[in-house]
Amino acid sequence: MVDIRRISTNRWWHKKKNWVLFIFLLFLFFVRISKGSLYKDFYYFISKPFWPGQFQREVLTKSVEQEFWLRLKQLEKDNKRLREILSLQRVSDSESISANVISRKTGSFWRQIILNKGIKDGVEIGSFVVGPGGLLGRVDNTSLFTSTVKLLTSPESKVGIWVERIQMHGLLVGLGNDYPKVIFYNKDIDIKVGDFVLSSPASTLLPPNIPIGIIQSVDEEFKAKKTANILLLGKPQAIDWVQILKVEI
Amino acid sequence: MGNYFKKNISLISFIFIPIVYLWDPNWLEFLGVQPYWPLFWLLPWSMIHGSFDGLIIGLFLGLILDSLSLDSSFTQIPGLVLCGVWFGKLSISNNIFVRHFSFGLICSIASFFCGSLFIFQILIKYWSDNINFLHLANTKNILAQIFITGLLAPLLCSLLFRLFQTSKGRDKLISFINK
Repeated sequence: MVDIRRISTNRWWHKKKNWVLFIFLLFLFFVRISKGSLYKDFYYFISKPFWPGQFQREVLTKSVEQEFWLRLKQLEKDNKRLREILSLQRVSDSESISANVISRKTGSFWRQIILNKGIKDGVEIGSFVVGPGGLLGRVDNTSLFTSTVKLLTSPESKVGIWVERIQMHGLLVGLGNDYPKVIFYNKDIDIKVGDFVLSSPASTLLPPNIPIGIIQSVDEEFKAKKTANILLLGKPQAIDWVQILKVEI
Repeated sequence: MGNYFKKNISLISFIFIPIVYLWDPNWLEFLGVQPYWPLFWLLPWSMIHGSFDGLIIGLFLGLILDSLSLDSSFTQIPGLVLCGVWFGKLSISNNIFVRHFSFGLICSIASFFCGSLFIFQILIKYWSDNINFLHLANTKNILAQIFITGLLAPLLCSLLFRLFQTSKGRDKLISFINK
């Protein structure tokens, strides 16, 4: 008997095609395990030149702004309706009056600005004046063609304020310099530098929630009072145009 | 026309005081504070016309400037009246350098006096509120005002002094001729 032995064998790993298939399967397994991260990273690099450009960003920003504006209008309308129901103070529905600053005394003891709109334009004593940044003061005197605004920094100015973060009332007192002080009649108050100050919802002189300033520094408590310096957002020494708004009670 | 202008220069310049007071050019301010404008006019005028006229014109100036300011609780009248009386008692030096220096010094002292009276009024008003100590921050305003008023006074006061002196001299000459 002649024992015929196989000289060569034909195993599966001898075939290149099988190896390719094996590597492919390994790759698929890796993709599955890594949840496609390799693909995503690869896509990141190849798609980079085609990402949304500046123009598209502007379009989106505009859309977002419009969305915010619409939402703001809606909220204002709701706010007005609710304040009407509760018989609270509100800003007049009539249009605001734009006025130009024709004289300003923002240094020294006398803190006032004179505007080029007066009685003939419908400006009334007690109307409040806002500029870029927020509240500037109240109309204290009117003539036929002009109106004089007492600034928040005037030594005679006292305005009720509201600190949004801690939900507390205070009194903003003008001192004849650029930094009026807020007096809190509670020494345990947790006031911090950077807190926003708005006009008080309880004020009988001003409409509520108008931005006024930011707490700049907090003083040591004195006789059950706490005082803080305020950095006003509206800068009367630099503003040329303002808005006069009426308050309805 | 020129003659009329020269004759009535004190009246015409008086009318312009409230205008300058309202204008308050910001390029002339120091630390945000303007000079105390009425003193520049009141000093030479009172020096020429005397204490009683200084008192009267100080009162007029105070009334006008108070009507232009909103702070109805505080007045500038006492400061300006007393300054008018004081300025009327002063005599002018013949030396031009001393004269310029004295104008600056007198205006600085007067500015300090008027500013202190104003702060004093504020402190009295808020005495009961227990927050009057906060108003001491105004001292910075006084110091800045003293400096800028004293700096500009030699220039403006000597110019006005010369103009008023000329117009007064002319008046005297005319009345002498008429006699």
